[in-house]
Amino acid sequence: MFHDKTLPCEGNFPGFLMKNSPLLFLGFCLSLILPVHADVAPKKIALSDFPAAAVDEVVVPVPSEIFSVLDKLGNPNWKDQLGEGRARTPQDRARTALLLGNIIAEGFVAVEAEDAEKVKDIGRQVLTLADAINVRKSVITRCKSITDKADKGDWKGVRAEFDGALQDVREAMDEMNDHDLSQLVSLGGWLRGTEVLTGIVQNGFSQDGAELLHQPELVNYFDRCIGSMSPRLRKNPLVSHIRDVLRKIGPIVHESGESISPDNVKSIHSLTREVNSQITALGN
Amino acid sequence: MKMIRHHFVAAHLCLVDRRWARSCHAIGFLCAFFLICCVAPRVHATVDDSISFAYEAALPYYKQGFSIRKDAWGGDLGVRERKAVSTQLFKGNTYWFLMATDLKGATLSVHLYDDRGNLVENESWQKGRFAGARLNPKATGTYFAIVQILKSPEDRTAWALVYGYK
Repeated sequence: MFHDKTLPCEGNFPGFLMKNSPLLFLGFCLSLILPVHADVAPKKIALSDFPAAAVDEVVVPVPSEIFSVLDKLGNPNWKDQLGEGRARTPQDRARTALLLGNIIAEGFVAVEAEDAEKVKDIGRQVLTLADAINVRKSVITRCKSITDKADKGDWKGVRAEFDGALQDVREAMDEMNDHDLSQLVSLGGWLRGTEVLTGIVQNGFSQDGAELLHQPELVNYFDRCIGSMSPRLRKNPLVSHIRDVLRKIGPIVHESGESISPDNVKSIHSLTREVNSQITALGN
Repeated sequence: MKMIRHHFVAAHLCLVDRRWARSCHAIGFLCAFFLICCVAPRVHATVDDSISFAYEAALPYYKQGFSIRKDAWGGDLGVRERKAVSTQLFKGNTYWFLMATDLKGATLSVHLYDDRGNLVENESWQKGRFAGARLNPKATGTYFAIVQILKSPEDRTAWALVYGYK
């Protein structure tokens, strides 16, 4: 507008906005600045809007996630939680996979207990068990690192290596289409981890510690995993027994974290302890 | 690409002569095989590239002491299509979820909800092909990372999600 009079096609709304409503003007300016596809997350969504196909399965936590919380809860007696003896490699592949997960979880306990010899022994066991299910190559470097870092007392590093070993083993199995065995490795680790966790919570019961057991979807997920395994694996007596145990644990951990009572913690502990003793039992 | 075209031409010529019908089937099969060989890695590469970008987004958090999980989740989505990734999180940890795509010009988002569908994240950001959300869970339990493509020059956009904790 380089002339005095306003032409019919010209408007004067910017001036109107500035004079009459500074807030409206501000809104106008913001609308120019903000992108058209602004990301505004709704405060609430209906999870039922997500069909099963639109939901990725539960992400199974790595043991470090739980141990990282336990670190903040105090300094429990980890040596008490260390398992004794050395399990023999089973001929049954399902049990071998469960045992491998179990032993890796044991590695975390040994790290917390800062027991270098135990850590190194567990590293060797991991290698032997991985060999039995044809994934030795995937963990050789990890196992060497476990030994090296244990010798140096680099406990954080050892923990990262055990995490990595678990993931590498699972990845190698998935690549070989051994998805069922890969799930059993996770399950074996979860069972031993839960036994240790409940053992610690029992010894110095705290609601914060008990709340870590609130894992309803994870328990359902493992149950579903077993349900979708090959009939041969599903009928494996140990796998079938584990499914029964999961179905007993499910309703307990389904309670909100605050209400998992000392008695419930005790129940989960004895259930997991019994099944882990079957996994690690000598002989086949 | 040259290889695909040469085989296509060969297959086309075979159709002219019936004597070559049998060979044509074989070459047609080869064509399909080569097409799959050439196209399939490209699709995978896109998701793999998105994973690399997601790790790139996670790098600053790694430097802050977050342990970044080696596992990554991904796939492809249409514009405005959402996907939920359910995850077990523990009270006492801090989590960062980082999402990315390798597709230039695409924008995406990730937000965190509890098992009742309430938005629970403590903070989130969105910057072009990268997005992130942080959560200090008030309770241990199941949470959902809702991923979405906001804008894209393509019909389907590959995405990847990683997370770290400390």
